[in-house]
Amino acid sequence: MKKSLLVTYGLLIVLTITTALISNSTSFSNVAVALIMGLSGIKFLLVAFQFMELKKANSAWKYTLIIVLALMISLILLIF
Amino acid sequence: MQTYNINYKNIFYPPGGILMWIIIYLELITFGMALIAFVYYGHQEPEVFHQSRLQLNSTFGAINTIFLLTSGFFMATAVHHFKEKNIAKSSFYFKLTMLGGLLFLILKSVEYYHKIESGITLETNVFFSFYWLLTAFHLIHVIMGLVILIWTNYGMTKKNSDTAVEDIEACAAFWHMCDLIWLLLFPTLYLIF
Repeated sequence: MKKSLLVTYGLLIVLTITTALISNSTSFSNVAVALIMGLSGIKFLLVAFQFMELKKANSAWKYTLIIVLALMISLILLIF
Repeated sequence: MQTYNINYKNIFYPPGGILMWIIIYLELITFGMALIAFVYYGHQEPEVFHQSRLQLNSTFGAINTIFLLTSGFFMATAVHHFKEKNIAKSSFYFKLTMLGGLLFLILKSVEYYHKIESGITLETNVFFSFYWLLTAFHLIHVIMGLVILIWTNYGMTKKNSDTAVEDIEACAAFWHMCDLIWLLLFPTLYLIF
Protein backbone atom coordinates (compact mmCIF):
# COMPACT_ATOMS: atom_id res chain seq x y z
CA MET A 1 0.00 0.00 0.00
CA LYS A 2 1.30 3.42 -0.96
CA LYS A 3 2.16 5.52 2.10
CA SER A 4 1.14 8.86 0.53
CA LEU A 5 -2.34 7.49 -0.20
CA LEU A 6 -2.71 6.30 3.39
CA VAL A 7 -1.60 9.68 4.78
CA THR A 8 -4.07 11.46 2.45
CA TYR A 9 -6.87 9.16 3.56
CA GLY A 10 -6.06 9.78 7.25
CA LEU A 11 -6.07 13.53 6.62
CA LEU A 12 -9.43 13.33 4.83
CA ILE A 13 -11.00 11.47 7.76
CA VAL A 14 -9.57 13.96 10.28
CA LEU A 15 -10.94 16.88 8.20
CA THR A 16 -14.37 15.19 7.94
CA ILE A 17 -14.53 14.74 11.73
CA THR A 18 -13.38 18.36 12.25
CA THR A 19 -16.13 19.58 9.89
CA ALA A 20 -18.72 17.53 11.82
CA LEU A 21 -17.48 19.00 15.14
CA ILE A 22 -17.66 22.57 13.81
CA SER A 23 -21.18 22.05 12.46
CA ASN A 24 -22.29 20.67 15.84
CA SER A 25 -20.86 23.62 17.77
CA THR A 26 -23.43 25.82 19.49
CA SER A 27 -21.94 29.11 18.25
CA PHE A 28 -22.83 28.66 14.60
CA SER A 29 -21.73 31.78 12.72
CA ASN A 30 -20.54 33.04 9.33
CA VAL A 31 -17.01 32.12 10.42
CA ALA A 32 -18.13 28.53 11.04
CA VAL A 33 -19.75 28.42 7.57
CA ALA A 34 -16.55 29.75 5.98
CA LEU A 35 -14.54 27.14 7.93
CA ILE A 36 -16.85 24.29 6.85
CA MET A 37 -16.67 25.32 3.19
CA GLY A 38 -12.90 25.92 3.41
CA LEU A 39 -12.26 22.48 4.91
CA SER A 40 -14.48 20.90 2.25
CA GLY A 41 -12.42 22.72 -0.38
CA ILE A 42 -9.21 21.27 1.09
CA LYS A 43 -10.75 17.76 1.03
CA PHE A 44 -11.79 18.31 -2.58
CA LEU A 45 -8.23 19.26 -3.56
CA LEU A 46 -6.73 16.33 -1.63
CA VAL A 47 -8.95 13.87 -3.54
CA ALA A 48 -8.21 15.54 -6.89
CA PHE A 49 -4.44 15.94 -6.45
CA GLN A 50 -3.63 12.74 -4.53
CA PHE A 51 -6.28 10.11 -5.36
CA MET A 52 -6.87 11.29 -8.95
CA GLU A 53 -3.14 12.05 -9.38
CA LEU A 54 -3.81 15.51 -10.76
CA LYS A 55 -0.46 16.49 -9.18
CA LYS A 56 1.19 14.70 -12.13
CA ALA A 57 -0.87 16.55 -14.76
CA ASN A 58 -0.06 19.64 -16.78
CA SER A 59 -0.30 22.86 -14.69
CA ALA A 60 -3.25 24.07 -16.80
CA TRP A 61 -5.46 21.28 -15.42
CA LYS A 62 -4.35 21.99 -11.83
CA TYR A 63 -4.89 25.76 -11.99
CA THR A 64 -8.24 25.42 -13.78
CA LEU A 65 -9.56 23.09 -11.07
CA ILE A 66 -8.34 25.39 -8.29
CA ILE A 67 -9.96 28.40 -10.01
CA VAL A 68 -13.29 26.58 -10.57
CA LEU A 69 -13.37 25.43 -6.93
CA ALA A 70 -12.35 28.85 -5.54
CA LEU A 71 -15.02 30.53 -7.67
CA MET A 72 -17.75 28.15 -6.48
CA ILE A 73 -16.86 28.43 -2.78
CA SER A 74 -16.40 32.21 -2.97
CA LEU A 75 -19.80 32.70 -4.66
CA ILE A 76 -21.50 30.43 -2.10
CA LEU A 77 -19.93 32.39 0.78
CA LEU A 78 -20.67 35.78 -0.82
CA ILE A 79 -24.35 34.96 -1.37
CA PHE A 80 -24.65 33.31 2.05
CA MET B 1 -1.38 -6.79 -21.13
CA GLN B 2 -0.45 -3.45 -22.64
CA THR B 3 1.20 -0.96 -20.31
CA TYR B 4 3.39 1.95 -21.27
CA ASN B 5 4.64 5.22 -19.88
CA ILE B 6 2.24 8.12 -20.28
CA ASN B 7 3.51 11.68 -20.35
CA TYR B 8 1.00 13.19 -17.90
CA LYS B 9 2.66 16.60 -18.25
CA ASN B 10 1.33 16.78 -21.80
CA ILE B 11 -1.87 18.86 -21.64
CA PHE B 12 -3.72 16.24 -23.72
CA TYR B 13 -2.97 13.36 -21.30
CA PRO B 14 -4.15 14.15 -17.74
CA PRO B 15 -4.46 10.99 -15.56
CA GLY B 16 -7.83 9.51 -16.59
CA GLY B 17 -7.78 11.02 -20.08
CA ILE B 18 -8.76 14.38 -21.53
CA LEU B 19 -12.36 13.35 -22.33
CA MET B 20 -12.97 12.17 -18.78
CA TRP B 21 -11.60 15.44 -17.39
CA ILE B 22 -13.81 17.48 -19.74
CA ILE B 23 -16.79 15.51 -18.34
CA ILE B 24 -15.54 16.08 -14.77
CA TYR B 25 -15.31 19.86 -15.32
CA LEU B 26 -18.76 19.99 -16.93
CA GLU B 27 -20.27 18.01 -14.05
CA LEU B 28 -18.56 20.15 -11.41
CA ILE B 29 -19.69 23.38 -13.08
CA THR B 30 -23.27 22.08 -13.44
CA PHE B 31 -23.52 20.94 -9.80
CA GLY B 32 -21.67 24.12 -8.71
CA MET B 33 -24.21 26.36 -10.47
CA ALA B 34 -27.09 24.43 -8.87
CA LEU B 35 -25.48 24.83 -5.43
CA ILE B 36 -25.01 28.57 -5.97
CA ALA B 37 -28.72 28.83 -6.95
CA PHE B 38 -29.58 26.79 -3.81
CA VAL B 39 -27.65 29.22 -1.57
CA TYR B 40 -29.29 32.17 -3.39
CA TYR B 41 -32.80 30.82 -2.58
CA GLY B 42 -31.61 30.06 0.96
CA HIS B 43 -30.68 33.74 1.32
CA GLN B 44 -34.27 34.67 0.26
CA GLU B 45 -35.94 32.24 2.72
CA PRO B 46 -33.46 31.68 5.59
CA GLU B 47 -36.03 30.39 8.10
CA VAL B 48 -37.53 27.81 5.67
CA PHE B 49 -34.04 26.60 4.77
CA HIS B 50 -32.93 26.41 8.40
CA GLN B 51 -36.01 24.41 9.47
CA SER B 52 -35.69 22.14 6.42
CA ARG B 53 -31.98 21.57 7.02
CA LEU B 54 -32.76 20.47 10.59
CA GLN B 55 -34.95 17.69 9.12
CA LEU B 56 -31.92 16.20 7.35
CA ASN B 57 -29.82 13.61 9.16
CA SER B 58 -26.31 15.11 9.08
CA THR B 59 -24.90 11.98 10.80
CA PHE B 60 -26.04 9.91 7.80
CA GLY B 61 -24.42 12.51 5.55
CA ALA B 62 -21.13 12.37 7.48
CA ILE B 63 -21.09 8.55 7.46
CA ASN B 64 -21.78 8.59 3.72
CA THR B 65 -18.86 11.00 3.28
CA ILE B 66 -16.62 8.50 5.07
CA PHE B 67 -17.96 5.64 2.91
CA LEU B 68 -17.16 7.56 -0.28
CA LEU B 69 -13.72 8.73 0.91
CA THR B 70 -12.81 5.18 1.99
CA SER B 71 -14.04 3.87 -1.33
CA GLY B 72 -11.95 6.53 -3.11
CA PHE B 73 -8.88 5.47 -1.12
CA PHE B 74 -9.41 1.83 -2.19
CA MET B 75 -9.85 2.98 -5.79
CA ALA B 76 -6.55 4.88 -5.75
CA THR B 77 -4.86 1.81 -4.19
CA ALA B 78 -6.36 -0.43 -6.92
CA VAL B 79 -4.87 1.84 -9.62
CA HIS B 80 -1.50 1.75 -7.84
CA HIS B 81 -1.48 -2.07 -7.80
CA PHE B 82 -2.62 -2.27 -11.43
CA LYS B 83 0.35 -0.10 -12.45
CA GLU B 84 2.61 -2.55 -10.60
CA LYS B 85 0.97 -5.31 -12.67
CA ASN B 86 -0.47 -6.95 -9.55
CA ILE B 87 -3.88 -7.68 -11.04
CA ALA B 88 -5.13 -9.93 -8.22
CA LYS B 89 -4.49 -7.25 -5.60
CA SER B 90 -5.90 -4.56 -7.85
CA SER B 91 -9.08 -6.60 -8.34
CA PHE B 92 -9.35 -7.10 -4.56
CA TYR B 93 -9.25 -3.31 -4.02
CA PHE B 94 -11.75 -2.86 -6.86
CA LYS B 95 -14.16 -5.06 -4.90
CA LEU B 96 -13.56 -3.05 -1.70
CA THR B 97 -14.24 0.13 -3.72
CA MET B 98 -17.54 -1.33 -4.87
CA LEU B 99 -18.41 -2.29 -1.29
CA GLY B 100 -17.93 1.36 -0.24
CA GLY B 101 -20.23 2.48 -3.05
CA LEU B 102 -22.80 -0.13 -2.12
CA LEU B 103 -22.80 0.97 1.53
CA PHE B 104 -23.33 4.56 0.33
CA LEU B 105 -26.34 3.41 -1.72
CA ILE B 106 -27.83 1.47 1.21
CA LEU B 107 -27.54 4.40 3.65
CA LYS B 108 -28.90 6.83 1.06
CA SER B 109 -31.87 4.50 0.49
CA VAL B 110 -32.56 4.43 4.25
CA GLU B 111 -32.39 8.24 4.30
CA TYR B 112 -34.77 8.52 1.32
CA TYR B 113 -37.15 6.02 2.94
CA HIS B 114 -37.36 8.13 6.12
CA LYS B 115 -37.97 11.29 4.08
CA ILE B 116 -40.75 9.71 2.01
CA GLU B 117 -42.30 8.21 5.14
CA SER B 118 -42.35 11.69 6.73
CA GLY B 119 -44.14 13.03 3.65
CA ILE B 120 -41.15 15.05 2.45
CA THR B 121 -41.24 15.20 -1.34
CA LEU B 122 -39.93 17.25 -4.23
CA GLU B 123 -42.86 19.65 -3.78
CA THR B 124 -42.50 20.23 0.00
CA ASN B 125 -40.52 23.47 -0.48
CA VAL B 126 -37.61 24.94 -2.47
CA PHE B 127 -35.03 23.42 -0.10
CA PHE B 128 -36.34 19.90 -0.62
CA SER B 129 -36.75 20.39 -4.38
CA PHE B 130 -33.00 21.05 -4.52
CA TYR B 131 -32.28 18.28 -1.99
CA TRP B 132 -34.09 15.60 -4.03
CA LEU B 133 -32.78 16.74 -7.41
CA LEU B 134 -29.15 17.19 -6.37
CA THR B 135 -28.84 14.04 -4.25
CA ALA B 136 -30.74 11.91 -6.79
CA PHE B 137 -28.56 13.11 -9.69
CA HIS B 138 -25.50 12.35 -7.58
CA LEU B 139 -26.92 8.92 -6.74
CA ILE B 140 -27.37 8.16 -10.46
CA HIS B 141 -23.66 8.97 -10.92
CA VAL B 142 -22.74 6.56 -8.10
CA ILE B 143 -24.88 3.78 -9.65
CA MET B 144 -23.30 4.48 -13.05
CA GLY B 145 -19.85 4.42 -11.39
CA LEU B 146 -20.61 1.03 -9.83
CA VAL B 147 -21.61 -0.37 -13.23
CA ILE B 148 -18.34 0.93 -14.72
CA LEU B 149 -16.38 -0.60 -11.80
CA ILE B 150 -18.03 -4.03 -12.23
CA TRP B 151 -17.46 -3.94 -15.97
CA THR B 152 -13.80 -2.82 -15.69
CA ASN B 153 -13.05 -5.36 -12.95
CA TYR B 154 -14.53 -8.12 -15.10
CA GLY B 155 -12.50 -6.95 -18.11
CA MET B 156 -9.17 -6.81 -16.30
CA THR B 157 -9.50 -10.21 -14.57
CA LYS B 158 -10.57 -12.29 -17.57
CA LYS B 159 -8.03 -14.37 -19.50
CA ASN B 160 -5.98 -12.55 -22.18
CA SER B 161 -7.22 -9.21 -20.88
CA ASP B 162 -6.39 -6.18 -23.01
CA THR B 163 -7.31 -3.69 -20.27
CA ALA B 164 -4.77 -0.86 -20.33
CA VAL B 165 -3.74 1.47 -17.52
CA GLU B 166 -5.66 4.31 -19.25
CA ASP B 167 -8.89 2.30 -18.95
CA ILE B 168 -8.32 1.80 -15.21
CA GLU B 169 -7.44 5.48 -14.73
CA ALA B 170 -10.54 6.63 -16.62
CA CYS B 171 -12.73 4.33 -14.51
CA ALA B 172 -11.05 5.63 -11.33
CA ALA B 173 -11.44 9.26 -12.43
CA PHE B 174 -15.20 8.77 -12.87
CA TRP B 175 -15.47 7.17 -9.43
CA HIS B 176 -13.48 9.96 -7.77
CA MET B 177 -15.71 12.50 -9.52
CA CYS B 178 -18.59 11.14 -7.39
CA ASP B 179 -16.46 11.92 -4.31
CA LEU B 180 -15.73 15.44 -5.54
CA ILE B 181 -19.41 16.22 -6.18
CA TRP B 182 -20.42 14.81 -2.78
CA LEU B 183 -17.71 16.86 -1.02
CA LEU B 184 -19.50 19.99 -2.29
CA LEU B 185 -23.08 18.72 -1.83
CA PHE B 186 -22.68 17.50 1.75
CA PRO B 187 -21.64 20.77 3.48
CA THR B 188 -23.97 22.95 1.39
CA LEU B 189 -27.11 20.83 1.82
CA TYR B 190 -26.59 19.28 5.27
CA LEU B 191 -24.52 21.74 7.28
CA ILE B 192 -24.48 25.45 6.50
CA PHE B 193 -28.16 26.50 6.84
